[in-house]
Amino acid sequence: MVEPKPANGVLKQDSGRLFIVEGIDGSGKSTQLDLLRKWLVNLGYLVVFSEWNSSPIVRATTRRGKREHLLSPMSFSLIHAADFASRTSATILPALRAGAIVLADRYVYTAYARDAVRGVNRAWLRKLYSFAPPPSLAFYFDVPLEEAVRRILAGRPRIKYYEAGMDLGLGADSYESFQRFQGLIRAEYERLVPEFGLIRLDATQTLVDQQQQMRELVRPHLEGAMRAPDTNGDPRRVVGQMGHQLSERHVDVPR
Amino acid sequence: MTALRFYGERPPGINGEELPGRLIVIEGTDGVGRTTHVTLLTEWLEARGYAVVNTGLRRSTLAGREIERAKRGNTLDHMTLNLFYATDFWDRMERQILPALRAGMVALVDRYIFSLMSRAVVRGMPRDWLENLFGFALVPDLVVYLDIDVPHLIPRVLASTGFDYWESGRDYLPGQDVFSSFVEYQSNLLAEFRRLAREHDFVTVDARGSIHEVFRQLCASIEPVLALMARG
Repeated sequence: MVEPKPANGVLKQDSGRLFIVEGIDGSGKSTQLDLLRKWLVNLGYLVVFSEWNSSPIVRATTRRGKREHLLSPMSFSLIHAADFASRTSATILPALRAGAIVLADRYVYTAYARDAVRGVNRAWLRKLYSFAPPPSLAFYFDVPLEEAVRRILAGRPRIKYYEAGMDLGLGADSYESFQRFQGLIRAEYERLVPEFGLIRLDATQTLVDQQQQMRELVRPHLEGAMRAPDTNGDPRRVVGQMGHQLSERHVDVPR
Repeated sequence: MTALRFYGERPPGINGEELPGRLIVIEGTDGVGRTTHVTLLTEWLEARGYAVVNTGLRRSTLAGREIERAKRGNTLDHMTLNLFYATDFWDRMERQILPALRAGMVALVDRYIFSLMSRAVVRGMPRDWLENLFGFALVPDLVVYLDIDVPHLIPRVLASTGFDYWESGRDYLPGQDVFSSFVEYQSNLLAEFRRLAREHDFVTVDARGSIHEVFRQLCASIEPVLALMARG
């Protein structure tokens, strides 16, 4: 069972490492986290990944709530807290206790930012999420609103209802609403950066530059972190690492 | 009038100061006779010309089904299950209870946040976290707590459903002895209910008596709350 404890009471100094990324949609945070993951795996570390709103147990509720527009600001907040609690107890906390590296794409700060924009009390939110283990490092990908919106709209024919904050009645259409909503979320992040010591990265730099800065900051935390077992029991991986392929008759090796 | 008062901060999207309806909550452990009395009270109120809405745990459109499923599979940790119940509770607050109160009805609610909090506290969840979480609940006009002791509870439970997995605390208590688990769990639960009853000034009704006796006391405690309320 996950005990809600003061933020610094959960993790021992010698246990896992938790690195998280935050930022508005289109800030490029997921891309950077993915690059960080590849680097860590290549260095031989065991890396556990957890993504916002991805708990299989909570998913059916969230999906129906979103599809049928059943979610008010409070139920939106509560159901995302349920998702986070489920992932914390099933994935994040056990991995950290075991001493592994955990990467999280969005963390409690996403709830603090989005739910506050929806009018949810900030102190209530912080207490609600007080069971969350504090990250070793939290990166905030800072991008100008116009740039983020440009990136998102470039690849998307349609913005979803809650993603655009349409439930807040911020704009006549989803594009206008999306821009205003992201602007408000960005303003909330600006409060969170000093409050929680988030590390601000300039997300308008090149991907390579951003990644280099991330790695420099992560590197000092890696000493003693859990390493991945050599092969995971899969001969294809060994062969892959050696740089050649298995012959046809070995391809169906059971995992 | 029901004052729009909440245990904690007022949640977003809730406007107004007063509501013409009444919020009446029946609390108590499983097997104490809550559901029987809610049914009887509904008829009694309707016969007297009040429009009544009933709601109870896990009856929300949003999360009711998932809680049932999760309980069957026993797949959720306590924290997630609590947040699911909170989601279910809030959804019913917004869609059933508040609209009924706005329409001048009596919302007769079978278990409120106190059942949820008691069950969670007994399982080791911190009170202050739970009080913060459930601070979004509207303060009812009346909470009647049906109080019982374990010796009186046992025959009622045996005569109906038997010792249920959750109501015996088997999800967290060690060992295979169902009866011992039931006694331990219910003793702890009742202690927590009584603590809440003192803290929040519930009207406590001794539920060890006959259905008729308990019902008479329930009606007597509800009567003053209905005074000055318009009937249909």
